Amino acid sequence: MSIRLALGNVRKSLRDYLIYFMTLSFGVCIFYAFNSIDSQQAVMEMTGSQMAALRLISRIMNTFSVFVSVILAFLILYANGFLIKRRKKEFGLYIILGMEKWMTARILLFETLFVGLLSLFAGLFLGVFLSQGMAVVTARLLGAGIGSFSFVFSFSALVKTMGYFGLAFVLALLFNIEMVRRQKLIDLLYAAKKNESFKPPRPGLSILIFILSLCCIGLSYKLILNNGLISSQGILTVCTVLGGAGTFLFFFSLSGFFLKLVQQNRGLYLKGLNMFVLRQIAGKINTAYVTMTLVCLMLFVSICTLSSGMGLADALAAELRGNTPFDATFFVRASDESPESAYAGVDLLAIARERGFDPGEGTYAAVRAYAADSPVALLAEGAEKTVYPEFMKLSDFNKVLELQGIDPIFLGADEYALNSGVRNERWQGMLAAYEEGGALELAGKRLRAAADGLYAYTTEVSSIKDYTIVAVVPDELLSDAPIKRDILHMNYPPGDGDCEKRCVSALLGFAPEGFEGSLETKARMMEYSHSTTTTIAYLAIYLGVVSLLMAATVLAIGQLSEAGDNVDRYGLLRKIGVEDRMIDTALFAQILICFGVPALPALAHAAVGIRAASKFVDIFGEMNILGSSLVAAFGIVVIYCAYFFATYAGSKRIVNKEYAHQRRIMENE
Amino acid sequence: MSSILQAQNVEKYYGNKGNLTRALAGVSFSVEEGEYVGVMGASGSGKTTLLNCISTIDTVTAGHIHIDGRDITEMGRKSLASFRREKLGFIFQDFNLLDTLTAYENIALALTIRKRPPREINARVKEAAEMLGISDVLRRYPYQMSGGQKQRVAGARALITNPALILADEPTGALDSKSARALLESFRRLVREKKATILMVTHDAFAAGHCDRILFIRDGRLFHQLPRGRDTGKQFFDKIIEVVSLLGGETNDVN
Repeated sequence: MSIRLALGNVRKSLRDYLIYFMTLSFGVCIFYAFNSIDSQQAVMEMTGSQMAALRLISRIMNTFSVFVSVILAFLILYANGFLIKRRKKEFGLYIILGMEKWMTARILLFETLFVGLLSLFAGLFLGVFLSQGMAVVTARLLGAGIGSFSFVFSFSALVKTMGYFGLAFVLALLFNIEMVRRQKLIDLLYAAKKNESFKPPRPGLSILIFILSLCCIGLSYKLILNNGLISSQGILTVCTVLGGAGTFLFFFSLSGFFLKLVQQNRGLYLKGLNMFVLRQIAGKINTAYVTMTLVCLMLFVSICTLSSGMGLADALAAELRGNTPFDATFFVRASDESPESAYAGVDLLAIARERGFDPGEGTYAAVRAYAADSPVALLAEGAEKTVYPEFMKLSDFNKVLELQGIDPIFLGADEYALNSGVRNERWQGMLAAYEEGGALELAGKRLRAAADGLYAYTTEVSSIKDYTIVAVVPDELLSDAPIKRDILHMNYPPGDGDCEKRCVSALLGFAPEGFEGSLETKARMMEYSHSTTTTIAYLAIYLGVVSLLMAATVLAIGQLSEAGDNVDRYGLLRKIGVEDRMIDTALFAQILICFGVPALPALAHAAVGIRAASKFVDIFGEMNILGSSLVAAFGIVVIYCAYFFATYAGSKRIVNKEYAHQRRIMENE
Repeated sequence: MSSILQAQNVEKYYGNKGNLTRALAGVSFSVEEGEYVGVMGASGSGKTTLLNCISTIDTVTAGHIHIDGRDITEMGRKSLASFRREKLGFIFQDFNLLDTLTAYENIALALTIRKRPPREINARVKEAAEMLGISDVLRRYPYQMSGGQKQRVAGARALITNPALILADEPTGALDSKSARALLESFRRLVREKKATILMVTHDAFAAGHCDRILFIRDGRLFHQLPRGRDTGKQFFDKIIEVVSLLGGETNDVN
């Protein structure tokens, strides 16, 4: 009996359950997919270190899953609470008909169970497909090959998903039963009749607050754009506080301000149902500005993490290609303990051969970088005084270029050139000084900047792109200069897969006594970078999507419960002769604006945030923020729209329900 | 004077073949332009059904209803909706004002949903408010008004579109006697000055006493008609009470 009632209820209120179902399914799907990462190795051909990277990613995802599961559980409870609220009267009726409270609770139990199971399976089904596609993406991000196709299925992720969501359901269940148990019958029956206290906005004050809020937001934009993300903690805090407070005040005053604005335009205000819709929204925002602020901030976080996370991953991958001009770079320099002047230089080629690896098998370039005492101070006025370039002989620099297959550069006897792999902000002062023809004094000789002597070649394999800025000078000027480091660039002979292994075993971690050595190879960097990019990208997507789900669900449910309260108002419009189409349009506009209002400031915040972040990310390389933003935006729009339409369908149903019911009775006669 | 409303042998049955309820059993009457007609009857007499049929909310089983020269029993659902919007005005017992709108906006809404040009709205709202004596509460929200004021705002909303016929369903039902009197007097003024035609369902003899003519309904039939003629208010009221006591049952409701 309870089961039949419960099944019938679920079938009857399928559209009421739609948002609940969607949130659960999306949640389960995402949760499963990101927890099944380690089982994706089934379709990949990986090296040992790639495997280790995959395991690391999987561990990080597992850690964050705890946090995510708490959020999802909260969402489930929130959505569930809305459903229960809408059906209080029904439960009151059961009890009045003589049903025991525990029986009502049992109906609820079965209902929750049905919907829970249904969405769990739908979510898992989607999740299995998602993880299938994700395996391909993971393989690409990790630089691993794709092996023969096989079905990716993670039993542990399945168990985990079921466990976590099962727990959330149990919580929802306890919550429901407690609700039914504690409610008084009168409250259940008259739940819908409770009057909402309507507070009309006060326009005068809100205009003032609105302007203040715009000032706050504008100021925080200006601060963050001028100072960037790597500014002092103080400025960042001020920005956050100003932005947050500004957003809050914005929503606090928006309804009053907007209402006043539109009321001025009588042609617009007194047209169709505009007046009504505007009042509806004003009333809504007026009471729900806290929710609006939260939703806006969640959307902001979602947009930022999704686009800059993916952008960062892109940037890291792109940078890698430009950052590895050779197969390997080995260098030795004075260790931090011993002063630089004590370093007299070593013969790297000899060392390598001694340790069993002959760079001569392939091609190589052994070069030297020099330090100078106080070169920078001699650059043009306004230059960054604290940064010291490395010096390199013209012949050495050309060797480095030749190894990359680049034509050599030429210098006059009194000229110098500058090379920097990236136009980083740190070098900006120096590069600008060069472009203004800043002179350089070295070994008692004054050098002028060579025309077109500013190069942007990558000159070594290094994990950080802006490691060096190199001043290239005529050879003879450096004969007495202190040596900074010896560098050996190597390209392996083509088709020799073993070379990397031998090179690494000979030189990795090795340094002559008293010195520091460093080996960076292309292959190692690839793997390292792949695991970093993958981690960042996945984490960004995971958290971004979850916070998007949260924002959309909170909005949708807010709107739906609003629609429930609005049945009377819409019914009244019908009574005074408003057409169905007009009512649908009004409802559509109302929900559209409610979804749009928090999204627009979130977009503006995100645009500024991403701009600031892209400057920060520049250190790692140029970020293709546009491409990844578009991809992220597409995903966000799809999910957001899904929630929007589900909300519209649900609200329409709620608003039309009573009316449709009446009409059905009439038509049956 | 031409007749605005003509009902001919209106019948209305509820239920199915096995279990028929006759709510209206052939009611015929007509209402002239500028007339103020009351409909009285006990609970279950069919007066609300009659009003629903006239207001196109419900359909008749047999018979015809002509409003402003058009037969509403022959119209399709779509044209009915627009007919209702253009020709009829409604006043309900529980006011039915939107709590989120001010009095002004509630009245204006009736025009905006009929897509009237915004510039004519202001003057018409002011005029209607003047007519019903609510000019000074136009900026208030419904929760800031008394019941009588609310009902007069609803009246202004019904009247502002210049409907051929205003249908009022127990308009004084939720009002105290003082507010009820003020409302009824403003209705009279509407009839006198604006030549409005009002059909008011009520079971309050005092309210009915303001009408030009009263139709008494019993068991789905027109039981009696009582024109005011040259009677004073007191004489007319006494006659109403007499008929009501004949109708049976509802004398207790007379206050």
